[in-house]
Amino acid sequence: MKKLLILLFIGLGTMTMNAQTDTSPLEGKITIEVDGLACPFCAYGLEKNLKEIDGVESIGINIDEGSVLLVIAKGKQISENTVLEKIKEAGFTPGTIKKESDE
Amino acid sequence: MDNDFFGSHNDGYKLSSRLLTYQVTSKIFLTILTVLLGLEMKAQGPPIFTDTPIMLGVQGRGVRTFGNIISKENAKAYKQVLVVPYNITRKWQVGTIVPYLSISPEGTSSSSGFGDLKVFTKYQLYQKDGKGTTLRGLVKLTETFPTGNSSKMPTLGSDAYQTTLSLVNGYVTTKYGIYGEVGYNIAGNNLPDNLIYNIAIGYPLLPQKYPPNQLNVFLELNGNYVFDDVGNNLFLSPGIQYIAGRKLLFESGIQIPLTDASPTNQQTNYIVRIGTRILIF
Repeated sequence: MKKLLILLFIGLGTMTMNAQTDTSPLEGKITIEVDGLACPFCAYGLEKNLKEIDGVESIGINIDEGSVLLVIAKGKQISENTVLEKIKEAGFTPGTIKKESDE
Repeated sequence: MDNDFFGSHNDGYKLSSRLLTYQVTSKIFLTILTVLLGLEMKAQGPPIFTDTPIMLGVQGRGVRTFGNIISKENAKAYKQVLVVPYNITRKWQVGTIVPYLSISPEGTSSSSGFGDLKVFTKYQLYQKDGKGTTLRGLVKLTETFPTGNSSKMPTLGSDAYQTTLSLVNGYVTTKYGIYGEVGYNIAGNNLPDNLIYNIAIGYPLLPQKYPPNQLNVFLELNGNYVFDDVGNNLFLSPGIQYIAGRKLLFESGIQIPLTDASPTNQQTNYIVRIGTRILIF
């Protein structure tokens, strides 16, 4: 039982660390939850900032869902940190990033 | 204290008809407010007469211009205003407000020219975002410079350096939005200080989407209490706004006085505002 608990703690700890440091490159289609996205008139800066990322092919902003769909050009990869920084710079709070393969 | 020409001292109160108007319009406002809060409201654009704490989109990367058609008991006036904000960081904004005035009093010669120039700075104090919601607040400092000609009547400026410190708050969700502003104006040059207070709610008539194609209606209360026993000015301000895509916004509203501290025969009949905001940066 003790060994099982130790293994459980190690397993959880490893998962947590992976979640915090998962900065694997993004490719294909990704959906990003964006908190604070409550008004269409203020979303222009978000669109503009994300367009500046090299490799982003198109952007779709869904106000109702509070999310942004990024389509990354074939053969290109972008960094998760870059995306998160661009959202913060635009005045919003980034949430979870879902890769196409996650869905 | 936009313009001293229109008068700033209260001779007394006008009558029961104005009190009746106040009571009726208050009931209308409360009824509309109750109906709007009962509906499933969606987010809308920035209020027309009240400031917003959201320094994004046209509020941080654009210019705003509007014309005020002012009808007073003793004069007609037109005021064209250009507002240019600039975001230094996402939390810090500076800007300038340039007014051009034309005043035509009854029975005397008219005046036109630039009014008092204002510069302002805003700093966001807090921001709490959730899914489809944002709660933001900022502090705003506005300095008014006596650039308007005050040497001849009717005057175009206040002849006073004025400082206004305001707090602007807003809670916007995909279901409703409400904005509030409270500020203290130190008028200087022996003019009475005043307390500025504004509240606004809005309601969209079209489904929201991005790029925006929105038609919004607003209902606002805009007031300022003038100290030194002058009195309270309060306007009920309905308005309409059309957001045409990412970069262009048209808006119009009317301010109807509920209480007016101006002397008899100098009171406001109405103020009509027609304006646009254009995103350029």
